[in-house]
Amino acid sequence: MSGALQFWNARVWAPYIRATARWPWLRSIVPFLPLIALWWAVAEAEFVPRAFLPGPVEVVASFFTLTYKGILPEYLSDSVTRLALGAAVGIAIGIPLGLLVGLNRTAHRALWPILLFFQAIGDIAWLPILLIWFGFGLTTMTLVIVYTVLFPIVLNTVLGVRSVPFDLHRAARSLGASPARVVWEVVLPGSLPNIMTGLRNGLGYGWRALIAAEIIVGTSGIGFLMFDARRAGSVVEILLGMIVLGVLWYIVDAWILAPIERATGERWGMVQRR
Amino acid sequence: MKSLTLKNLQKTYFDPYSGTEVTAIRDVSLDVGPGEFVAIVGPSGCGKTTILNMVAGFLAPSGGEILVDSRPVHGPGPDRGVVFQSFALFPWKTVLDNVAFGPKMRGIGRPEREASAREFLELAGLSHAADRYPNELSGGMQQRVGVVRALANHPDVLLMDEPFASVDAQTRMTLQEELARIWQERRTTVLFITHDVAEAVFLANRVIVLSGGRVQTEIEIALPHPRSWDALMDDDGFKALSSQVLQQVRAA
Repeated sequence: MSGALQFWNARVWAPYIRATARWPWLRSIVPFLPLIALWWAVAEAEFVPRAFLPGPVEVVASFFTLTYKGILPEYLSDSVTRLALGAAVGIAIGIPLGLLVGLNRTAHRALWPILLFFQAIGDIAWLPILLIWFGFGLTTMTLVIVYTVLFPIVLNTVLGVRSVPFDLHRAARSLGASPARVVWEVVLPGSLPNIMTGLRNGLGYGWRALIAAEIIVGTSGIGFLMFDARRAGSVVEILLGMIVLGVLWYIVDAWILAPIERATGERWGMVQRR
Repeated sequence: MKSLTLKNLQKTYFDPYSGTEVTAIRDVSLDVGPGEFVAIVGPSGCGKTTILNMVAGFLAPSGGEILVDSRPVHGPGPDRGVVFQSFALFPWKTVLDNVAFGPKMRGIGRPEREASAREFLELAGLSHAADRYPNELSGGMQQRVGVVRALANHPDVLLMDEPFASVDAQTRMTLQEELARIWQERRTTVLFITHDVAEAVFLANRVIVLSGGRVQTEIEIALPHPRSWDALMDDDGFKALSSQVLQQVRAA
């Protein structure tokens, strides 16, 4: 038993740690290898017909075919652009609104119940009425994403604003900061860890809402690709769409959100590093 | 150097749970002369922090007046520097930026305010920590930054609210000696709140014993400066004054 453990530590774990120190991207790839192997084995065993569960090889092949045809890049950029546009609008409205509700007692009393009410009406629950008002198009999809991104950002910003210790307000004021500068110098950086949480949730929900909207509104995008593939009975392309969704979110998280969090809340000791 | 005057200060709260008015400060008058170090001691709940919060402008008095050099106080302002028990450093700013915060708010340019902040850090032996974040420092170091940050803004009056209550005993003695030295050099007017009798006697020129929202006694501390624990620990004058203050606090 301990011999096996020794072998594992010396021959597998230690080299892996050394390798990931040299090539950090390995850390993102290696955990998926057993999963892909399992998928490949199950598909090869053909418990179900190949057309119902294609293997990794077919999916990779369809990735290259659709990329070569230009369909995948176009749909992907459509989806990402929609999400980016919706997120930008959501952030531009969400953070100032969160600051207002978090800082101003009257605004909190007036708006908090309304925020909770509208938060409960899930993103795609708006689709029927938005489709009637704005038709099948970018406006409808953008509105759904803005709506989805907005609430996690607003609610978490309010939480963040209220979590800033009172003494920090007081310290800034007695060092000569005007109330407006306190917002910029104290409240905003103090609530940044919560705002990041809101952004992470918001983008995650927004991404799912977008796919749902694309399936229903259906003109282009990854969601449309998957639903269109269903019509053609192409499981390969459905799986490809699902994988693209996961990979894309992983990239957003690992390349954008996590670095921001490392450079802010974790660096400042406001969020515990794991 | 500026004076601080409290005239018939009162503070009553409305307690929404009991539905009654609660009196925290009944009637407090106090003159802190220019360059004087006054400590207020008293049992917990006697209203000492309430007084400091009113002087700092964080709370509005229910009655009476607060004057800094005959100017009435309305709200917080840079003429009254505050050192908090919780340190209240900005976690997202480096030590240097924390100390330069006051000058930044006064519109002083970066090179000038950073140079001045570095001078103040040197005063407290903190030069090596200038680029660290507060969470990377020990409690004692953090409060050194807290004191320096208040001083670097050149306040007329320095208000200190149990500043050393949350550091360990050895560090506390060092910080007290450093504060005594800095006060000796700069002669800032200080109002110091504490429940620690020895601390009050060690630092102050005058100790005010507060009880039930009133000044119970004032005791002059005519010990020589500079003060150090090595010299005062077994000093009969220090012991006599400490026990005199302690008796008053315990009677409070």
